[in-house]
Amino acid sequence: MTWADLGSSALRAALPLAIWGCAAAAYAAAKRDGRALSSARWAALLTFVLVSLAVFAMEGALVTHDFTIAYVARNNARETPMFFTVISLWAALEGSILLWTLILAGATTYVAWRGTRDLPRLGTTALAVLLGMLGFFLILVTTPAADPFIRTDPPADGLGPNPLLQNHPLMALHPPLLYLGYVLTSIPFAYAIASLILGESGDRWLVATRRSALISWALLGVGIVAGSWWSYAVLGWGGYWAWDPVENAAIMPWLTATAYLHSVMVEEKRRLLRTWNLSLVVATFALTILGTFLTRSGVVNSVHAFTQSAIGPLLLGYLVAIIVLSLGLLLWRMPRLVDAGEIGAPLSREAVFLFQNVVFVAATLTVLLGTLYPLIAEAISGAQLSIGRPYFDTVEVPLALALLFLMGIGPQLPWHGASRATLERQFTWPVVAAAAGAAIALLTGLASAFAVLTYALGAFVAATVVQEFARGVRARHVLHGENAGTALANLLRRNGRRYGGYVVHLGIVVVAVAVATSQAGEIQVEKTLSPGQTVAAGPYVVTLDALRNASEPQRDLLVADLTITGSGANEHLHPALAFYPNATQAVGSPGIAAGSRNDIYTILAAYDSRAKAWATIRVLVIPLVSWLWVGGLIVGLGAVIAALPPPRRRLVAAPAAVTAPGTAAGGE
Amino acid sequence: MPRWLRLVVVAGIAALVVVLGLAFRHDPQDIKTGTVGKPAAAFTLQKLDGSGPLTVTPGDGKVVVINFFASWCIPCKQENPALVRMYERYRSSPDVVFVGVLYQDSLESGLAYVRDNGVTWSTVNDDQGRVAFQFGVFGIPETYFIGPDGVIAGRHIGPIDEQTLATGIDDLRAKAKR
Amino acid sequence: MNAMKRHPRVLIAMAIVAVALAVGWSARPQPETSAERVDRITSELRCVVCQGLSVKDSPAESARQMRDLVVQRVAEGKTDQQIVDEFRASYGDWVVLTPPLVSWGGLVWLVPFAALIAGVAVALRRMRSSPQTLPEPPPAELAALRERVAREEALDLPITEGR
Repeated sequence: MTWADLGSSALRAALPLAIWGCAAAAYAAAKRDGRALSSARWAALLTFVLVSLAVFAMEGALVTHDFTIAYVARNNARETPMFFTVISLWAALEGSILLWTLILAGATTYVAWRGTRDLPRLGTTALAVLLGMLGFFLILVTTPAADPFIRTDPPADGLGPNPLLQNHPLMALHPPLLYLGYVLTSIPFAYAIASLILGESGDRWLVATRRSALISWALLGVGIVAGSWWSYAVLGWGGYWAWDPVENAAIMPWLTATAYLHSVMVEEKRRLLRTWNLSLVVATFALTILGTFLTRSGVVNSVHAFTQSAIGPLLLGYLVAIIVLSLGLLLWRMPRLVDAGEIGAPLSREAVFLFQNVVFVAATLTVLLGTLYPLIAEAISGAQLSIGRPYFDTVEVPLALALLFLMGIGPQLPWHGASRATLERQFTWPVVAAAAGAAIALLTGLASAFAVLTYALGAFVAATVVQEFARGVRARHVLHGENAGTALANLLRRNGRRYGGYVVHLGIVVVAVAVATSQAGEIQVEKTLSPGQTVAAGPYVVTLDALRNASEPQRDLLVADLTITGSGANEHLHPALAFYPNATQAVGSPGIAAGSRNDIYTILAAYDSRAKAWATIRVLVIPLVSWLWVGGLIVGLGAVIAALPPPRRRLVAAPAAVTAPGTAAGGE
Repeated sequence: MPRWLRLVVVAGIAALVVVLGLAFRHDPQDIKTGTVGKPAAAFTLQKLDGSGPLTVTPGDGKVVVINFFASWCIPCKQENPALVRMYERYRSSPDVVFVGVLYQDSLESGLAYVRDNGVTWSTVNDDQGRVAFQFGVFGIPETYFIGPDGVIAGRHIGPIDEQTLATGIDDLRAKAKR
Repeated sequence: MNAMKRHPRVLIAMAIVAVALAVGWSARPQPETSAERVDRITSELRCVVCQGLSVKDSPAESARQMRDLVVQRVAEGKTDQQIVDEFRASYGDWVVLTPPLVSWGGLVWLVPFAALIAGVAVALRRMRSSPQTLPEPPPAELAALRERVAREEALDLPITEGR
């Protein structure tokens, strides 16, 4: 049996199982039939095993260079290093859909065995929804649309992965993280749909999926940061975000998911915004499918767009089905989704959450419209237009600053409304910190007004967070006599949702400051040098030592050896142009010296191919850009703290700071 | 939710779906240039063989075929035999001119390419990229047809074949006779 | 310091004024050098061989030649409009990364702000105006809701075999 036989028969066996499981789960939920539920559970587990087997077969085929499989022949070559061979699973369309199917099957199995135990009827209905979605993806991978195991006449050697994708180890991390984030949004979506189908008036779906919503949001966020790190390190233009359609596709669900994570709190504490929260969950999920459609169907031009295939119409059909179904259910059940009471005054926490939601949704709409507008214009008038960074920056930067501001005030306001005394108590020091932040920006020579405002708002938010931690620690010290370290650890462990959230906010501040500084303070120079000549870039001096050829098994390189001196730096960088056997144009590979203050980013832009007598070197000095990745990590860390279950409370417990989870209805 | 908001949401989503459906009709690679249908500007560039400058003055009653190429461009090699054969066919016609413009390449590599591939029509070096810019070249190979009236009548993106070349040239000559 | 603690309002007002001054000062109009002008113009133009990068950002050869062209045009004293028009003549509207304010392009600029204003308006309408204690929803209504939810959830017995 060949790898292709193994993989394709596993997938073909999984498809009917998933459909059976979907029907069985629906029957089990409707008729409260235990045997049907048990059957659905096993169907989910078996589907997962079979899809894992197919992934195993694909990896086996890649590692053994089995070029009888078209996917392997197109995305692998004998010289491809082992590491990039293994991760070629997600180097192209079919493999990435296979990975997607695997993750979805895993999530489905989790719900089948865990979710249906705690909330049998709701969980089983959600399981039916998930198995239905899994069935759709199994249809994709068993039809020519995205069948990864289509056979071909084996060539002597494969084409090898796309040069851009075999250039950096982050490729191992960025796509799987993003896919995990994308796919895990299915769980809250499935529960929301289940709740609508059953016509529940409570918010059990929301409590049950709180953790998976948080985890999918965090994975999406960390995946986005990893992706921008990858593009910074690989694409060779010195930037990390270009508002490329694929980046936009990833940021849209993240924006709506962030809105959701906050408005959920309003529903939990105040029993408000029910329809709105359901809509946000549906929108988040639909946007992940829209993003997949945009990047997989070939309708937009992008760095990452995969080649065109029959998958486009299928994904569009899936998207339409999801939107019509969810919208129909929402409109049908809306009369049951009554809110208990009203929103507080404009200066209450729930009101700030609401404003924040409005800004997030406006930001999402902007990205959506900007991404699709060229398609709209062409459909209407045939005109070809571009919408790029200047547009997105102009609109999104003010929105981001507004969010930063709301992030500072929201957590400091009480529910219902705030008195003047509260405002003074909460905001005096943070506002003073804001002034200090603005002063720091001016003193470090940042000239842009946006950067100064970002520093001010960043300091404001950071001060509110520090103030919260200080008060929490002091309270524990007074109440339990704990020292500062223990008190801090206990705050994070016992009230992870709140204090983990603050850690996330700190991470966002770090990201915002890194973005503002790297944008406003970047220095760019470009010069054609002969070996031995130098060029000055900010405080640094760059010397071209030599131009040389280098050879690796899978590619040839032309390398510029540079020495960076000045301002305490002594670095040797080697920007290069890489020539792959099956690529027409050379792929630039920047030389980067990362630092906590400045990154020195060098690009070999052009060279004398004949005598190697000169090279054009582009040097960028980018301040604080490394902190962008650090900020992403802090956000991830905060999310982990928030997602960890708090320790079980003993009967004689410390004063409860959170309301117990799982209390479904009623006011406070 | 107010009724109007509900309507806006539903209408917005419907419009989104229609746009996405229509998007299948378009090819993201097919970008229209701004220059087709407009008069081509005259230009002067140095010849590859070092025999001095060549000036192309569209509108002097000749059909001009301008082909942008480079030695690093693999599809250029693919289309070259078709260009060679068509150049031979129209070589004796005084009203048809072929010009090859070397795009983003070194003079030496360009010269070697011309020798190795039997390019015998005039070839010039666009070392500043200005002529490619004037014509609105996105990526090579690209071939432009300029009518006897000096107007850019057509553009072909990607490797060109004999049929397209012959039709493009003959149409413009016929138009000139009329 | 103590005086400040007694009058936090003064302190808050002073700090807000300081931030506003700092932002205002950094936003003051400054004369643009020609290098800054080249950067600004090229960041609005699309690199023709890239995927959505601007001429300013792109490391591609073709983008560098276009930067050289813009440098030359700026040195010749051409206006921004003349330079952009020259690019448009060659590459059409496609080459400009910002949608024009006129006709359909205006929609792209309008929608974000319209959405923001409409959203804030809807949100404000749902808020009460008086800032103090919130009246609980009518107890009967709340009780009915609680009861309905409890009833629904009671339906959710474990699904076991042999039922």
